[in-house]
Amino acid sequence: MSAVVAIVVFPGTNSEDETLRAVRAVGLEVELVHWSQPEKLERFDAFVLPGGFAYEDRIRAGAVAAHDAVMDPVIDAAQAGKFVLGICNGAQILAEAGLVPGTGPLRRPTAAFAPNASGRFESVHVHLRLTVAPERIPILGGIGAGTVIPAWASHGDGRLAAPSDELARIEHDGHLAFVYCDRDGNEVSAPNGSALNCAGLVNRAGNVLAIMPHPERDAWTYQHLDESRDAARGDARAVLAPSGGIALFEHFAQVVRGKVPA
Amino acid sequence: MSATRTFAVTLTIPDNEAFTAYETLGRLGIPAARVVRADIWQFDVDGAGAADDLARTVASIETIHNPNKHRLAERASDRPAPGEVWIAPRDEAPATTVAGRAIHGVRAIRRRTAWRLLDDAGHDVAPADLDRAVETFLCNPAFQVAITA
Repeated sequence: MSAVVAIVVFPGTNSEDETLRAVRAVGLEVELVHWSQPEKLERFDAFVLPGGFAYEDRIRAGAVAAHDAVMDPVIDAAQAGKFVLGICNGAQILAEAGLVPGTGPLRRPTAAFAPNASGRFESVHVHLRLTVAPERIPILGGIGAGTVIPAWASHGDGRLAAPSDELARIEHDGHLAFVYCDRDGNEVSAPNGSALNCAGLVNRAGNVLAIMPHPERDAWTYQHLDESRDAARGDARAVLAPSGGIALFEHFAQVVRGKVPA
Repeated sequence: MSATRTFAVTLTIPDNEAFTAYETLGRLGIPAARVVRADIWQFDVDGAGAADDLARTVASIETIHNPNKHRLAERASDRPAPGEVWIAPRDEAPATTVAGRAIHGVRAIRRRTAWRLLDDAGHDVAPADLDRAVETFLCNPAFQVAITA
């Protein structure tokens, strides 16, 4: 039996196709499930909430989607230990749903991906460095300590914000999954003014991960912003090869497959 | 001497954001027959005579007020009306420009979102219901504060 991943699509989601492509490329069976079909979600092994602007970001980014009926089975699945990955708007939804950092009651957020410090939408290439021990983040099975993943940051609301005591909890209790860094892993300032330089949060059990940048938009050689793209020029196979951000999905696939009975 | 002048901007066309809030509040079991939203703009002005023509200036900035779809009204108070809640950023650094434009005599600009929940008769819902709406949905205390009268 192959693992089946649901990509949950809200009105306003816009990154479902590239996310589906990345999840499929790492060998997982994947389906798009729309917000109006919550009953379909029970049979899935894992979930991805992709990027976009669910419900036009009305009220607050992620706030309406977090209370949508389609999130009920996602929250139940997360509580039962299934894997849930949120990217960009998906990360905002997970924070609003209280699933990350997961230090408070469900749907009572203790942290937020708030409007960028610049007050503007920021679209820049970034790298993320894993800051927790690999065993702290089972959703990325087999990932190495300090792994650096390239991605594109593309958001207006990506700044981690929380009261100081909650930020201390996030840092000391291992919820700070990824920080912004350069390609060599040296920490650099977040493009959004994020507290703790946070690019991603993980819950206590390590089965729910929220990352703001998009690894699925830097998952093929032609999408990279380095010399690898130039080196591949003229070689169709190399240009179209999965690489870079696809690594995050490979680790996700490794663990999701492992959770499925053979 | 400084003062704060407060303007409310409401839509004259259907407010999709208010309707979405209404639907979500309904899902949360909070009884509201109608949800009313307004953008609140506050301007700290210097000196008694400064920014005399502020209302006209504000009305001319389309980022704030588009006459094709907005109604602009100056408020007498710089606090929420009874039955109303304002949601504001917690760590707000007041702006000094709007749409890249400084306004003569204005030294700080703040923006809030005002919410009112009305019952079938058009009256404000019970304060406890408004509080519940704020706690469960309208305000994320991680980065926002709720201001009431």
